Formats: sequence, C-alpha cells, structure tokens
Amino acid sequence: MDSFWTHCLRHFQSAIPAQQFKTWIQPLNAEFDGKTVHIAAPNRFVLEWVRDKYLGDIQRLSSEYLDKNVGINMTLATRQVQPPSPAAQSSTAPAKPRDREKSRLNPLFTFDTFVTGKANQLARAAALQVTEHLGSAYNPLFVYGGVGLGKTHLIQAIGNAVRDRQPDAKIRYIHAEQYVSDVVRAYQHKAFDGFKKYYHSLDLLLIDDIQFFSRKNRTQEEFFYLFNALTEAHRQVIITCDTYPKEISGMEDRLVSRFGWGLTVAIEPPELEMRVAILLKKGEMERMDLPEDVAFFIANHIQSNVRELEGALKRILAYARFTNAPITVELAREALKDLLAVQTRQISLENIQKCVADYYKIKVSEMYSKKRSRTIARPRQMAMALAKELTSMSLPDIGEGFGGRDHTTVLHACRKINELRASNTDINRDFDSLLQTLRG
Amino acid sequence: MRQMALSLAPAPAPTLRNFVHGRNAELMSLLSALANGARAERFVYIWGVRGCGKTHLLRAMGAAFAEHNVATAVFTGGELQVDIPQCEVILADDVDQLTESDQERLFNVYNKQRDGGGVLIAAGAVPPARLELRNDLVTRLGWGLVYQVHTLSDEEKMAAMIEHARARGFSLNREVIDYLLKRQARDLPGLLGMLDALDRYSLESKRAVTIPLVRELLSEPPAEG
Repeated sequence: MDSFWTHCLRHFQSAIPAQQFKTWIQPLNAEFDGKTVHIAAPNRFVLEWVRDKYLGDIQRLSSEYLDKNVGINMTLATRQVQPPSPAAQSSTAPAKPRDREKSRLNPLFTFDTFVTGKANQLARAAALQVTEHLGSAYNPLFVYGGVGLGKTHLIQAIGNAVRDRQPDAKIRYIHAEQYVSDVVRAYQHKAFDGFKKYYHSLDLLLIDDIQFFSRKNRTQEEFFYLFNALTEAHRQVIITCDTYPKEISGMEDRLVSRFGWGLTVAIEPPELEMRVAILLKKGEMERMDLPEDVAFFIANHIQSNVRELEGALKRILAYARFTNAPITVELAREALKDLLAVQTRQISLENIQKCVADYYKIKVSEMYSKKRSRTIARPRQMAMALAKELTSMSLPDIGEGFGGRDHTTVLHACRKINELRASNTDINRDFDSLLQTLRG
Repeated sequence: MRQMALSLAPAPAPTLRNFVHGRNAELMSLLSALANGARAERFVYIWGVRGCGKTHLLRAMGAAFAEHNVATAVFTGGELQVDIPQCEVILADDVDQLTESDQERLFNVYNKQRDGGGVLIAAGAVPPARLELRNDLVTRLGWGLVYQVHTLSDEEKMAAMIEHARARGFSLNREVIDYLLKRQARDLPGLLGMLDALDRYSLESKRAVTIPLVRELLSEPPAEG
C-alpha cells in the first residue's frame, strides 16, 4: 500500500502547486485492505475538497497502479491524542508515513528548494558533505546565524536527503525546547531509561536552536551524554544556534568545546541578488508568474530575513488574487503599503500639535492661545482636523486640548479644512504631508 | 417609578457578518475563506490600534469554526493555557503582551500548527516587525499573511452603530448618531458600548432613544429653547 500511496503522492506533488499539495494531499492517510483504498482526511473540509477535486485522479491512479478497479473509501480520521513519549508518534505524512512522522522532518525542506548564495554557500556545501559521509565528515555540524535565514531548512534538507539515501536510518529532528520538555517529562515519569534508549539509538540527530539549553543544567547534562554516545558511535549530530558556540551564554564549557569539534559554519543574511532568487524560487513553487522587477522591488524593501520576505510575497499574491490583477510593481507597492509605512505609534494630540506647529513655524503654545489671526488659526484648524483623522478622541476632548475650545469649533475647523483641501492644492498638500509625517 | 430592565439582551455576538468591513475587504474575504475551509494560507496575523476590531474578528472566527465543528482554542488577554490542546485552529489575541513563558508556548504552538497542518490566527497592536517579543516568534508571525485592520471612517462607524442597534432591537436615528459622534470618544467599542447603555436606559425609562434621552444618560442639561 505504501508504494501505491507513494505513487499517488509523487503524482500530486508534480501535478499540483506545492501549497495545495501541502494543504490537501499531504495530511491524508491511506490504507489498502485488498479491495478498497481507505483514505482518511483530518477534517471534513479536506475530505470534501479531496472528494470533489482529486478523487477522480486517485481512482484513475489506483486502477492503473493496482491493475484493477478498486473501491475508494473516504473517511474522517479520528483525532490523535498527544503521544506520551517521543518514540510513539502518530502518522500523517507522505512517503513512509510512520518514519516521516517519527523523524519530524518536513518533506518540503529539501536541498532543491534551498536557494544558495554567498550568504549560505559554505553551509550548504558542508551540509552536502555531511549527507554523503554521515557521521564521519564533520561531527557535529554546527550551523549558526540569525532567525529566519534558513538554518532549519538546511538541516532538515540533510535529514530528508539522508532518508532518501538510507531509508532505514533512524533520524530525528527536534527543536531544543522540545528536547528540554522531553527531559522534564522523563523526570516526571521517572522514564530516563526509555528516554536514553530512544535518543541513543538515533543515526542522525538534528537539534535546532541549541541556545535554548541556556541555564538548563539537567538538560545540558543529558545532552552531554547523548552527544558523547552518538559521536563515539560515529552517528551524526547536527546543531543550529543563533550564535557562534563560544558566544552562547549559560552553556557548560565542556559542551561548548564539543560543539567546536566538527565544523562550524555561518549563515549570513541574504544579499539583494539572493533575496531576489529566493522570491523567484518561491513564486515558481507557487506556480505564480513573478516578474523580476517585482522581486527586486520586494527584495529592496525587505532586507532583514527570509521569513519576512516570504510573508511579503504571500501578501502580494493574495492581493493580486483578490483584485484579480496582474502582479506589477504598482500592485506590489499597494499590497505592501501597510507593511512599508508602518504606523505603530498611537498618535497623541501633543504629537500632532508639535508636528503642525513645526511645519508652519509657529510656537506650540499658539495652538492653545486665543489668537485668531489667520497665520495662527489656520495651522490650529489643520491640527484639529488631523486630530479627528488620526485619533479616536471625542470632539469635546480635542477642543479641550486646544485651549478649552468648544466641540463646535473643532467641527467647524474640520469642515473648513475639508473645503480648503478641495479648493486649494497647497492646503491639500500640507494636509497629506503632515498626515504622512505623523503616521511615520 | 423606573422599570428595571432584565438582562435579557446580551450584546450581539461578534460574527464575520456583523463586522462592518470598511477598508478591510481583502482581509474579510481571506477570513471568510478560512472559515469555510480554505487552507491555502494557514497563518494570519492581524494588527491595528485599540478598538479597530481585532478581538471581534478573532471571536467571530472562533464562532465560525465552531459552526463547522473545527476544533478551535482561543487564547486571550496574553494568557496561554499550560496544556495546549490539539486543535486544528488556534486563535491568539493580544500577542504583544505575552510573557516570556507564553511566548515560548506560542512558539511551540506555531511549530505544531505548521507541521500538523493547523491554522493560527494571531492579533496584536503592532505589526510583526515592531513586536517586542523573541525574534524567532516575531519572524514566524510575519511569515504568513499580515494584515492591518483599518479603523472605520465616521460614515462606516455610523453603519456599524445602526447595525448594532438593529441587532439589539431598537432603531437609531441619524441625529442621535451625530450627537454621539460629536461628543463621545470615537472608537467603535466605546460607541457600541454607549449604545448598549442607551438601550438599557431606554428600556428602564420606557422611552425611545432620542437626544434628550442621551443627554439624560450622560447627565447633561437639556438644550435651551
């Protein structure tokens, strides 16, 4: 059955966009009892969707592959309860479902989908070496770099590649915090024997964000023994961290020095060209036609990390779909408007008064003075109109903030500015530019 | 003698339908699609100033998922339960206020939802890049679809108030709305809260919702003439 389902998964993986595969096909579980293929979906949306869109394909594939017209039965999967130990896991993933789930590898994190550039080429080369010479090339492989730069992707790519080469290898990906929880649980249930037996039996341990071991002494002790046991047996250990080993705080020296035994490689933030390449690759995976100038536009504006880059791309795709418009730089600018001109401060009345006073080169105190000359009154009206636009304050409160004026004065100011904006381009420009300055 | 109103009329429950869209049409279409089972994007972060409707939207999503029997857990007020239930959908409100240990839990929830095909909809006061939380959580929240919830214009607030009054079973005339908009704090929860108070007061005093009634409730002297 595994092979038929694997065949199905391969078909869908190449036939439909990655996101759809991930959403609809990957969560399915299939079993064949000789007559019928039983497909379990995690919820009724997935069930109905798959029945509508993909059942025909599955039927066709089954009659081709199993050489007879087998029945297909779609059911809802019963909900899985949190497994008590790391060794007993549920099965939901493709290929060899149980192994995949046990390893906790995300099948989409592969070397194929990992975009390489100057920032990560050394790390990638080291990762490939480790894949080919498991346990003997560099042990441990220590990958460090800031968040959202692809450390997890890279080490999971090693896991997936090793799985393909050695299907029987025992692999486990774990986030450091999860490992800490496992230690705590072993403590609570006095189950250290089972804990050790499981972890010490691994051929490849991928442990993510090791900085979370900081000041967790019992965890560090357990990990120290695990590390020694695995490396002595030439089993591979791969570690990621947000910093260079010697910089990790709250970590025992004996661990820090061991982290440096193999190879330590950095992943740097991606340079512009690499950011563009990442976006184009993502677009390709989503089967979207992403023009290069749009990729450059995004990459120019978002420089910090890959996740933010991908988030921006998603937003643009969603906006294009929503407006049913082609993806252009103009559309990208519109879609990312909120993100690029981030308005975070709650704007206060004082803020507005100061900003407007500076703009018109009058004193802030004149905002609440009784003076009525136009050079003072107009900026004051402008500030009142901006206060109505930018705050949720009541009109009486706004009036109060301008030297105890009545709310009808505020109302008049707002109307006046609105009229002037329609008839006077200077006033309109002043208003817009003040609005922009205040929104930051 | 004043008639005491029975507490029979709770404020209308937040739904996607009773949220006045304003400039949030794209977000609303995404949320409706999610509520109806679409899973093209499973991670959504919404942000905006206080009173813009984030909590309304999260609660509305909770109700919509419950209607479809989708297991949903809601975390509000910056508190996360110790045992995160295995739910297809997690709704997390006020993430900007998470304590250090709650951040760790949300981080784990995020990873669990990502690996297990679940959904996470989170809301905070500021966009991801400005969240003062641990960096690996911040970048994850910014990894999905991020939307600003835009506040409503006065006209849209008016529509929201009329709808709210209608759901409570009384009609609201334009003068009353104008009066409230000109004299009260103009954030929507404040305005709707005022309508709830007015509704109750009008039931107790057996009088229609009019400007004199509003003045009385606000203890203002009646207008001259």
